Amino acid sequence: MRVAIVGLGKMGLLHASILNVLPNVQLAAMCEKSSVTRRLWKKVFREIQIVDNLEKLSDLDLDAVYVTTPIPSHFFIAKTLYTRHLTHNLFVEKTLASNYDEAKELCGLTRRFGGANMVGYLRRFTVTFRKAKDLLSEDYAGDATGFTGYAYSSDFYGMNRGSKTLVSRGGVLRDLGCHVIDLAIWFFGDLKVDSANVESVADGCSGDVWHFAVRKPGGLKGDFKASWCMNGYRMPEIALQISCSKGIIEVSDDVVKLQLNNGQLSTWHRHDLNDTSFFWLGGPEYFREDDYFIKSVRENLHAEPDFDMASKVDRLIDEVQFKVDKISD
Amino acid sequence: MVGDNPFHNISHLSQDRARARGNATKQPECAADLVMLSLENGANGFMFSVSDTTLSILREIREREAIEHLSLYAIVPYAYEYVRVATQVGGVTGLIAKVAKEITMSRSAGTIAMGLGAVIRSNPLSLMKTYLSYEISRVKSSAGKKANLISLMLHEVVTDMALALDLDWLFRSYIDFTLRRGLTPGFNTGNFTYFVDKFKTWNLDLDKIAIAAPFNKIGFQMIPSKIACEKTLDSLLQPIVIAISILAAGYLKPTEAIGYIAALPNIKGVAIGVSRESHARETFRLFHKELNG
Repeated sequence: MRVAIVGLGKMGLLHASILNVLPNVQLAAMCEKSSVTRRLWKKVFREIQIVDNLEKLSDLDLDAVYVTTPIPSHFFIAKTLYTRHLTHNLFVEKTLASNYDEAKELCGLTRRFGGANMVGYLRRFTVTFRKAKDLLSEDYAGDATGFTGYAYSSDFYGMNRGSKTLVSRGGVLRDLGCHVIDLAIWFFGDLKVDSANVESVADGCSGDVWHFAVRKPGGLKGDFKASWCMNGYRMPEIALQISCSKGIIEVSDDVVKLQLNNGQLSTWHRHDLNDTSFFWLGGPEYFREDDYFIKSVRENLHAEPDFDMASKVDRLIDEVQFKVDKISD
Repeated sequence: MVGDNPFHNISHLSQDRARARGNATKQPECAADLVMLSLENGANGFMFSVSDTTLSILREIREREAIEHLSLYAIVPYAYEYVRVATQVGGVTGLIAKVAKEITMSRSAGTIAMGLGAVIRSNPLSLMKTYLSYEISRVKSSAGKKANLISLMLHEVVTDMALALDLDWLFRSYIDFTLRRGLTPGFNTGNFTYFVDKFKTWNLDLDKIAIAAPFNKIGFQMIPSKIACEKTLDSLLQPIVIAISILAAGYLKPTEAIGYIAALPNIKGVAIGVSRESHARETFRLFHKELNG
């Protein structure tokens, strides 16, 4: 299977590495806009074609393409790949697009052209969140009645200046908050935004803390917080606390806890959840994610989260931003 | 060996645990106290990622005139910090520019000249050598002339990416460079079996290197499996492995972990992070007794 990567930043290199380890996958090409980066990587990846624009992928007979560029460029690149028939099997790093309109248009293209399509919501491949999904699906905790979730990192903690990077990364909701939103949609289905606000953090930061409340028809309510200016979050951390009729589920990247109303507590660390893979790079979930997508392409299976599912995250983020803008006006 | 994870406030069991620990172990004086106490109880080495935090700890130990008692294993690059910088400055290109600026500020004329040539030619090998020279000079200037720098170890993200991408020429060049500098070429890897298999395929001499890889009783982070890693370890001709994650990130108590580690063949050493004085005392006393008879 011949695969290309568009965008040679850290995520592009990570996926390229894992793809190269997968059996029967050939890393056929890499596409990178920056001439400096291209010149350097040409000397590193001596066997792989490195090109400067998408058109040059046209003669390569590609089976699949990974899009790992900054979020604002996802729409243009994915649309070009489809409409120029460069591939119909597409993996796009999260978020699918910069807004819901773009995401919807890409969903339309998948219906028109077919193929496997998937968005890189990595947490769905993390053993702790999978365990929480199982606990919910198999009714160990009863019906979910409400939840709180957060997505925190210290990436910009202590930085007190505006940064172009913050914009190119799509803001904290698209860059980090999208993970907890996707998990909530995966766990509970479609959600609507009730209210949203942005708090400034006390010690100054390029970004802020986003807070928003959601609900689901039928009664479930939830609260989210997202910030990349938190102290003590050396690695980005996603977590949810879910209130259910029979108890409470707490889940993060590291651990799942089920506290039943009768006092019984069960705890599972990654260690207890068979957190392994064939190759380790950045954590076993990255390998599982790529292995799953490639298998979907090879066996003509439906991949999840597909563009349709992922577009729900874009829609919800648009709703949050709309509510906040309305307050600002 | 004393590992440095607690000094960077890292816990692979949970971030909550690291946050609860607070910032005390990040203070160079406190960290140096823990390293010294570990030394008194049987440790003889320090394995650390090269960062401002660990360089401050080295300076502190040097001032206490204990640096010569430690074998130093320096891991480069400190991937977390570089990824964080890349995030802040806008990706890999921004990161390269920032590192180039730091090298220039280091005032090492040889390194600057080497780096300038590498940039002009966009030569990855020259860039790598420039960067490694810069990191060695940082360690040596902090630890001083009496320091016993044994090995320069390539961080697992770089090692495993280069493995995955079949960059055998990069490994050859790295080994050649470190040996010429009188250091043992070291590799931190999360893919021990894959690493050894690749080195054998590429005809690279395993006996000249050191490998830091996870080994623990419950098989945590032993990829692709505990059995496969044990089998590979057994196939080595010499003890070249430094076992890390032996307590499975704090999931195991030292008394639960020791029996498994003591029975493994070809283990050159173990690295253990400690965050409290009682840990340092009890852990190193136990491991020194059990591993050295």
